[in-house]
Amino acid sequence: MELQVSEADGITKVALSGRMDTIGTSQIETRFTALIVPGGKPTIIDLSEVSFLASLGVRMLISTARALSRKGSRMALFGATEPVMEIIDTTSLDQIIPVAPSEPQAIALVQG
Amino acid sequence: MGGDLHLVLNNTLAAIEDGRRELLKFFEQHALPVLAVNRLEVIFEEIVSNAIRHGFTPRSDQSMHVRARAKPGAFEFTFEDDGDPFDPRDAVESPAFTTLEAARIGGLGLPLVARLSSGLSYEREDPRNIRRAVTDFQPVNRTIITVSTT
Repeated sequence: MELQVSEADGITKVALSGRMDTIGTSQIETRFTALIVPGGKPTIIDLSEVSFLASLGVRMLISTARALSRKGSRMALFGATEPVMEIIDTTSLDQIIPVAPSEPQAIALVQG
Repeated sequence: MGGDLHLVLNNTLAAIEDGRRELLKFFEQHALPVLAVNRLEVIFEEIVSNAIRHGFTPRSDQSMHVRARAKPGAFEFTFEDDGDPFDPRDAVESPAFTTLEAARIGGLGLPLVARLSSGLSYEREDPRNIRRAVTDFQPVNRTIITVSTT
C-alpha cells in the first residue's frame, strides 16, 4: 500500500492506495498513525484508490480516528469504491467514522 | 461451471496473496459480479489470515488447504488446516458500534465473514479444523449485442 499526505487550511488529507488487507495494512499502519495523530488536526482520508478493505484496515481506521478524537479532532472518509463501501456498511464503520461521497463534503464533516 | 479449485497454502502471510491470485483466476471462469468477488476475497482473506496469525505456530510447517467450488447461485469455500482448534462461529457475535471511544478494534474479521456468508460451519477432525463458508451470488447478466454493418 501507499499513502500520500498533504495539508491545506488546517486539514490533513491522506490519500491511500492499494489493498487494505493483512499485508497492505501492516505496510502503512505505523506511518499512517504517526502522520495523523501527533498533529491532531482534522483529517480526511481519500479511499478512491483503495481497491480492497478487510478487518485489519477497518481496525487501523478506528484506532487512528479514536486517537484523533481524544485530541479533539475528527476524521472522515471519502471516495470509497462500491466494494469498499460494502465493507464499510457491513461493519457499520460509518456509524462511528463519518463517510462522505466527495472531498468537499468530507471537509465539511471534520470542520467545526 | 468449471471444476473445483484446490490450493495448499503454507504458514506465511505471503501465501495469502499467492492464494488470492489463484482464486482470481478461478473466479474469472465464472460470471461473478464485482461485489461477489469482493465478498469471496474478504472471506478468504479473513479466514486464512486468522488461521496463520492465531492458529498456527510461528515458522512451523503447518499448512492450509483451501477448496473453492461453484454451486448453482453460490460459492462454497472449505478451509482445512492443522492449527489450533478454533470454531469461527464462537467469534461471530460482535457488538454494534455505538461510539468511537467504545468501539471494539480487535476481532472484527470473523464477524465480517459471518455477515458476508449465507452459511458458516465448523468441524474438528483431529488434528484438523474444517471450516466451510457459503456465499450466495447472482451471476452477471451478460448482454449480447449484435452489430450489423452494411
